[in-house]
Amino acid sequence: MSDALNTSWFDPARVNLLVGLALFIAFLIINISRAKGGSNMYIRPMAGLKAVDEAIGRATEMGRPVLYLPGLGDMSEAGTLASIAILGRVARRTAEMGCDLDVPGYDPVATTIMDGAARQAYIGAGRGDAYRPGTVHYVTTQQFAYVAAVSGFMLRERPAANIFMGSFYAESLFLAETGNLTGAIQIAGCDQVTQLPFFVCACDYTLLGEELFAAGAFLGQEPVQLATVAAQDWAKALAAAMVVVSLLASALGHPELGQLLQTR
Amino acid sequence: MRKGPLVVTFLVATSLVAMFFIPHHKVQEGQSVLLNWANVVYAFALILGSLTLWVSHQKKVLARADGWQYSVVTLAALSFVTVAGTLQGVEEGTLVNRYYNMVNSPLASTMFALLAFFIASAAFRAFRARNAEATLLLGTAIVMMIGRVSVGEFLWSGFPPVTEWLLDVPNLAAKRAIALGIGLGAVSTALKIILGIDRTYLGRS
Repeated sequence: MSDALNTSWFDPARVNLLVGLALFIAFLIINISRAKGGSNMYIRPMAGLKAVDEAIGRATEMGRPVLYLPGLGDMSEAGTLASIAILGRVARRTAEMGCDLDVPGYDPVATTIMDGAARQAYIGAGRGDAYRPGTVHYVTTQQFAYVAAVSGFMLRERPAANIFMGSFYAESLFLAETGNLTGAIQIAGCDQVTQLPFFVCACDYTLLGEELFAAGAFLGQEPVQLATVAAQDWAKALAAAMVVVSLLASALGHPELGQLLQTR
Repeated sequence: MRKGPLVVTFLVATSLVAMFFIPHHKVQEGQSVLLNWANVVYAFALILGSLTLWVSHQKKVLARADGWQYSVVTLAALSFVTVAGTLQGVEEGTLVNRYYNMVNSPLASTMFALLAFFIASAAFRAFRARNAEATLLLGTAIVMMIGRVSVGEFLWSGFPPVTEWLLDVPNLAAKRAIALGIGLGAVSTALKIILGIDRTYLGRS
């Protein structure tokens, strides 16, 4: 017998997620209004992002390229979307400083979009003519073939700065260690918790967790973008408070609150 | 300013978010259709990607740039797989299938096997006791390594439970804290794109 078709119009088990999303959107609207009203949107300085300018400057002085790796994620992954925003900022700085940029792509869709973002960044910097076709180029969708191609590039071209931003998996340590051997300044940001220790070991600076998603806003310093980071911080504070309260409630014999936070 | 792509992004994204909360079978079927469309876009992008791959390596070969020999191998492999795959398909026993199993897979496995050496060199650098934090990391790593091998239990029966505690309590707490931040960051990034705050993906600042 086949399963009965679901004819309900709302999944009550997901009401907590809906409330969470509504709260996040409310935080976003409040902070964007504050930003537009002229409030100061302060984000604590992140050493890894302050080092981006230093790394690009060093590459320019040495006459070597900057290698930007957007990770192995596709367009459905938030890490890739964050990486595209960061690439836009990095490409603008390389355009302004007249430094070569190389972006080997893994996912063909993401590569095409990154090519557009980098090209636009060069045009925005008034250096559209300096954008070299092939700056952002597709390599392969085979994980270790990608590692071989990028490692080969690192060893042959000796980029002065390697910037890893996006979703990385088993290839993270290969790439970061090879870059470390070449003596490049390395800055990484990754949304895969299991890969962060590898980047911490092999890179000069590593963005942890949500810092990857705040990086685009930090580098751009546009008030509305910074407002989204403030909203993210408010949501994080609320989540942390709820965890503590539910923990205390559970300890006092009331696990119901903790169960309300469970999702499926 | 062109608003079409922003409107399409907003409508498709909000529809998919709504579909997540609506379990009705008709809505879920619609969601599957929408997600399948992504595969069609992917197929076209793959063709475009292959063309850029060809052009960039062809340039290297013609200019005799550093490492141009590797580009010849890339072009030869790309041509072979494209022609053989088009003529024969990729099923069991075909040329592409044999190439994949006899060349590609062993090469990928070889690369993966090198990971052990990279871990050793990274660990050597990370475990230098330069300051209090690095010393704590070194001590924890030593306990973890001893506790995860048979000889650890032989030396002291307390090693395995200590390693389990390290993994399940401090390690898991840190991982969950980072994962919470990543989750919120992902939601924030998605909302920025849905609401048109971040337009870099459209090639706009």
